[in-house]
Amino acid sequence: MTKSNIKNQGLSSSRRDLLKLMGAASALPLLGACSSLGGPRSKDLSARVVVVGGGFGGATAAKYLKRNAPDLDVTLIEPNKVFYTCPFSNLVLAGMRTMDSIGHNYNELRELGVRVVHTTAQDVDPVSRTVSLGDGSSIRYEKLLLSPGIDIRWNAIEGYDQAAAEQAPHAWKAGDQTRLLRRQIEAMDDGGVFVLTAPANPFRCPPGPYERASLVAHYLSQQKPRSKVLILDAKDNFSKQGLFMQGWKDVHGDRIEWVGLSGDGKVTRVDAGKREVETEFGTIHKASVLNVVPPQKAGFIADRAGVTNESGWVPVDPVTFESTQVKDIYVVGDATIAAPMPKSGFAANAQGKVAAAAIIAALEGQRPLEPSWANTCYSLINPEYGISVAAVYRIQEGLIHESSGGVSPSDANATFRKLEADYASGWYSAITQDTWGTRR
Amino acid sequence: MKTSFALTFALLLPALPALADDQANTAQTALLAASCANCHGTDGKQAGVIPAIANRPATALENQLMEFKHSDSTRATVMPRIAKGYSDDELKALAQYFSRIGSAQQR
Repeated sequence: MTKSNIKNQGLSSSRRDLLKLMGAASALPLLGACSSLGGPRSKDLSARVVVVGGGFGGATAAKYLKRNAPDLDVTLIEPNKVFYTCPFSNLVLAGMRTMDSIGHNYNELRELGVRVVHTTAQDVDPVSRTVSLGDGSSIRYEKLLLSPGIDIRWNAIEGYDQAAAEQAPHAWKAGDQTRLLRRQIEAMDDGGVFVLTAPANPFRCPPGPYERASLVAHYLSQQKPRSKVLILDAKDNFSKQGLFMQGWKDVHGDRIEWVGLSGDGKVTRVDAGKREVETEFGTIHKASVLNVVPPQKAGFIADRAGVTNESGWVPVDPVTFESTQVKDIYVVGDATIAAPMPKSGFAANAQGKVAAAAIIAALEGQRPLEPSWANTCYSLINPEYGISVAAVYRIQEGLIHESSGGVSPSDANATFRKLEADYASGWYSAITQDTWGTRR
Repeated sequence: MKTSFALTFALLLPALPALADDQANTAQTALLAASCANCHGTDGKQAGVIPAIANRPATALENQLMEFKHSDSTRATVMPRIAKGYSDDELKALAQYFSRIGSAQQR
């Protein structure tokens, strides 16, 4: 621990005493006064913060840590030099975008002074506060922020393992899996059936499977008009269901068929070689292209750090996103249990900012600021037809609470749907600029 | 030590409230405003199909936000759903905050 942090801790206990004298009502202005008395807040903040994972949550956290406290020593651990986003990867599958257009680098973070190390994080020792890296080295931290994303629960569906994913891609992490699925869709014969299996909640990107079905159907309508899309779902309700179903009817006719849990939609076995799936009650469905969106859990580094619980996900303090199980480890993004916030890139970005502010406050010995988050998930029915769900989240009685929000109106006209499709592109440009500084 | 520090601090207090309020409010408003960047770019500067919001007159921003929150505008898409999640005072603070950010970047 550095000298300056010891000093901060001293300040902190003094503040607490003072707060007792003053009463809670005057707490916030006082804390502000403390940091102004101490000069620029960044002066005392040379602590080392290690961020693991350079997706929406981690890259955003690293950026906002450095912007708000430039003297912090911030290191980002991310194996990939280019990060491909899951948002808009459905557009790549439909031939509407290139892979390059959804790839983002770490140049802006480096310009801001973040040390970006392209290797994997292998293990975390919370006692010695050390992260072991894939290149054999290790790095110590005072605060650790994990943005682990998701891992697939291999074999949760019988027959669906890593080898099977090479024949029946999940494409639920963007990159080579996206390319593979795109090649399969392109190679599919006219008249074929694209089968998508969707998991039970919770999973990354709740409207994602249904946007994917929509955009694959759009591609098929242009290129292979006799083909169909079949969604086999392990649940009976899904995100923006009414809007999706109306959109499918309006735009895709009977090209898309959805079978929910109670219609025997839950897939229990996959034969990737034969491109076949079997549902709960023994129905066999044969696919031309088989896309399995499998059950998921927090990315593996979360397990190594000891922050996951029996659900496979990560419980966090809703105000700071610090792990409730391991001190000084903050976790953001899809890996966390943050309902009613969805597992989305947008939410991960918003959580990254809240966690960055909480880390700075903790290093300064201050109480965390009052958090708030927003989320908007756009989905495309086709390039001209967008729908959305938006919400603001605040803390109420210690829990994350949706303070406003809703979905696109069901009676909107074509102009409104087109506007939301355009806003989807605008959103993608803005959030990737905010996260990586890239221009798309 | 703690007592004397607290006492020193308490003596300084009468001179400080304005500065203190401002400092705390700025950090708090900056965190509130960070949510806007997801669609409007960092610091609200990204101009495109979704407009930049930085460096616009505070009254214009405030009026727009209040309209999103309080009137059922058919023109707007997501903003009426989002604006209702904030108090009027918070929306005013956001309008002030973005009006003070330097000029919007041209794409």
